[in-house]
Amino acid sequence: MLKLYLLLSYEFMKIGLFSIGGGYSTLPFLYYIQSKYQWFSVDELTNMIAVSNITPGPIGINMATYTGFTSAGIIGSFIATGAIIFIPFIISVLMVKLIDKYKTCNALNSVFLGLRPAACALLASIGIKLLYKTLHPLAFDYKAVILFLFLLIPFSFIKKNPLLTILMGGIGGIVIQNI
Amino acid sequence: MKKASLIEIFKVFFIIGIQLLGGGYVIVPLLKKYIVDERQWMSEEELVDYFAMSQCIPGIIAGNISVCAGYRAGGILGSLAAISGLISTPFITILILANILSSVVDNKIIQEAFWGIRISVIILIFITIKDLWKKSVNSKFTYILFLLIFLSLILSNISPAIIIVLSAIIASVYTKLNKGEKNA
Repeated sequence: MLKLYLLLSYEFMKIGLFSIGGGYSTLPFLYYIQSKYQWFSVDELTNMIAVSNITPGPIGINMATYTGFTSAGIIGSFIATGAIIFIPFIISVLMVKLIDKYKTCNALNSVFLGLRPAACALLASIGIKLLYKTLHPLAFDYKAVILFLFLLIPFSFIKKNPLLTILMGGIGGIVIQNI
Repeated sequence: MKKASLIEIFKVFFIIGIQLLGGGYVIVPLLKKYIVDERQWMSEEELVDYFAMSQCIPGIIAGNISVCAGYRAGGILGSLAAISGLISTPFITILILANILSSVVDNKIIQEAFWGIRISVIILIFITIKDLWKKSVNSKFTYILFLLIFLSLILSNISPAIIIVLSAIIASVYTKLNKGEKNA
């Protein structure tokens, strides 16, 4: 059992270190773990990915918790989640400390001059890509367009509340699909 | 910036974790609401900066940016409180519901709800851009940079990490050249 725990923490620490950008970058590592150790089957993994998408929390963390649980029970889920955030945690803290230290430095400020528009462009490209996928011209889905417009008007002009937007999206989805 | 108690930090990130549905990028509007607007633990600029930098360091973006925000609110222990709060929800959900979750996934109503949630996430992303725009894209240089990066992200599959590093280099060179001109 101890060997399983050690392997689990080693493998998930590796995921934490090498998955750069987004929860989905952990997927190839999870498939690798599956084929190397058989702690869970491919079908189970596919199912866990689907579940991670519908449970609250960051998808990468959900997948670590779930795969850890399937591999080695409650202790396994603690180990997998702890291991996956361990190295990124240290790096994030060091990063904030460094930013604080060189806050007044002109070189750092000119870096931020570039980072801020880049962050906006990144968000915008994700938004456009998701929009294209949902409102794809070849598979035109008028129900998606209706829901999109229905949500767009109240939430972009009147009330800015992330939870309310998500909830209305969920309820709207059920209603529109059943009309 | 105000300093906060660890319990308060844990609580806020626990609440954020519950609301984190439909992908990690929803963390940005949630942090904007709970951390920047309601509690002033960090500024809007810091949110954008940490979001950009979280892309190029290892780890899950929502986790990294929460560690940064937690550090702003209460130092290294604040970071620990933030990440613990954030991962509590997945823990509780999966430990309690592990056995029934896989049957829930195929449920028709759940599928329809998540179809709708994916659409609301798109709107959330655009609202967030609108919020962060003024402090981020406000000069000729930043406009051009935004357009260049946006087009290259749309038209190719280039990694966000590379884009962030490149834009940092471009901005540094631009500032250097600009200064050189002013001094000459």
